[in-house]
Amino acid sequence: MGKQVSNAAQALAPGEARCPDEPSTQDIIARDKVAAPAWVCSESYQYLGDHDVSVDRYIDPEFAKKEFENLWTRTWQFACREEHIPEVGDYYVYDIGRRSFIVTRVAENEIRAYYNACLHRSTKLRASGTDGSTQEFKCPFHGWSWNLDGSINEIVCDWDFQHVERDKFSLPETRVETLGGFVFINMDMDALPLADYLGAEFMAHIKAWKLEDRYIHSHVMKTLPANWKLSMEAFMEAYHVINTHPQVAVSNADANSQYDTYGEHVNRFISTLGVLSPHLKGQYSEQDVLDQFTIGDSSVLGGSERKLAAGETARQRMADMMREMFEQGTNTDLSGVSDSELLDCFSYTLFPNTFLFAGISLPMVYRFLPHPEDHRKTLFELFFLRPVPVDGNRPEPAEPVRLADDQSFTEAEGVDPGFGEIMDQDTENLLLQQQGCEATAKPGITLGSYQEIRVRHFEQAVSRYAEGR
Amino acid sequence: MPPGSRKALKLDNTWVLVINANDRLFAVSGLCSHQAKPLLNGRVRNCRITCPVHGARFDLATGEALDLPATKPIPTYEVRVVDDWIEVSLGT
Ligand code: FES
Ligand SMILES: [Fe+2]
Repeated sequence: MGKQVSNAAQALAPGEARCPDEPSTQDIIARDKVAAPAWVCSESYQYLGDHDVSVDRYIDPEFAKKEFENLWTRTWQFACREEHIPEVGDYYVYDIGRRSFIVTRVAENEIRAYYNACLHRSTKLRASGTDGSTQEFKCPFHGWSWNLDGSINEIVCDWDFQHVERDKFSLPETRVETLGGFVFINMDMDALPLADYLGAEFMAHIKAWKLEDRYIHSHVMKTLPANWKLSMEAFMEAYHVINTHPQVAVSNADANSQYDTYGEHVNRFISTLGVLSPHLKGQYSEQDVLDQFTIGDSSVLGGSERKLAAGETARQRMADMMREMFEQGTNTDLSGVSDSELLDCFSYTLFPNTFLFAGISLPMVYRFLPHPEDHRKTLFELFFLRPVPVDGNRPEPAEPVRLADDQSFTEAEGVDPGFGEIMDQDTENLLLQQQGCEATAKPGITLGSYQEIRVRHFEQAVSRYAEGR
Repeated sequence: MPPGSRKALKLDNTWVLVINANDRLFAVSGLCSHQAKPLLNGRVRNCRITCPVHGARFDLATGEALDLPATKPIPTYEVRVVDDWIEVSLGT
């Protein structure tokens, strides 16, 4: 049987093979009671070759240097959320590598980002990792100050600086755009507009999610023991679920998840939940699937009744329960939301370093930042975005919780223990993978044509930018 | 003092800032430990205050300096409500 399957697969063009004898993600979603929107019900896979991806990009400090010079300087990056800086004068410091930026609201509908360095003797105007509110950016050293709009305000003892032309001493800026409540910056003043960079198809997706109507309910930071690209790639496929997260596989259609790419900077997977993994076929009943279902914000599920009626599927029951529990738990109206959006994992990557999750049950955003001094480390941030309550009062964005390297994600306030365990399992692979990339006799990593297309798609963009193309 | 309000006052030559943040009363030094600038107009979020001049942040409960350019804590004072009055103790 196994042999026949592989012969059949070989008859297909490269990249066309799918998990045999299993419903596709679209088949699973099509059976749901409340139908999914267009952005869920589409596919956009493209075969991108099958060559190995060289490991030097993960282990060579020179490669990291090229990235800082050519990649981070020319790409759109999520710097902060709009709710971090709701009032005029609010600011948030965003760092990438050794660069640092003050992102500030200069008028009700205008946000700017300045290089965070004094134009006198270069002292940082605001410490990294801070946010706040101000009327002017005043340097702590000799007291030069700049207005919110970046123009110079005061030069202390200006009689001694007659050579300084005030109109040339405005704070240098980056490009800034907002989308879905996120503030993006790009150091490249000639960069494509954000909407073109992300592409029309993805723009239609994100507009449907209304992420601007969410707020940061929790924010966790941790240093991961691997290169930022390895760290990101650990989250780009469901292929590892059966081995790394066996507890999840019972209620996750892992091997028949769907993978899509959109243009050069966006890719995604859809991984359906409440469905048994193809790897475990015949080993569990629908009731077992329901019983083992735990995900993201499952704390809101409470102790609800979990016995399935004859013919009832675990997936449908889960969707019904989620709808009810989330409406109560978060005080929001979800009547128009599809079963798939309530249940499934929609993982999108926005190049270079942001993951957005579109669903209701897994309302995360991930940000991965290369460690400024160590290419083997990643500063990882996990945000949970919850809908702003129906009463419209937007809560303050959560203060980040910083985990020590040896701390478990389950220890962070605001993280569901089941979700924390999954994150720990992912983290545990990373140091071994980083070390393996350094130990190996094989110069490249080998990727699945379908399930690992996001890794290939991502690395193609990395290569292009790092080489300055 | 409703939630979100604040008052700066001089008690025995000490500038004190009383703040109602998230329905909890705090009394801290009215001056930043960095360059002794007034904290009165600093943004309060999640029970922390940010100095509006150079951006140092302090924990309102403990006074701990959370960021550069401040490295030293600000004094915190005991605060209590007696009938309609808010009382601050400068200690000894
Ligand atoms: S370094 Fe900023 S004022 Fe001198
Ligand atoms: Fe994982």
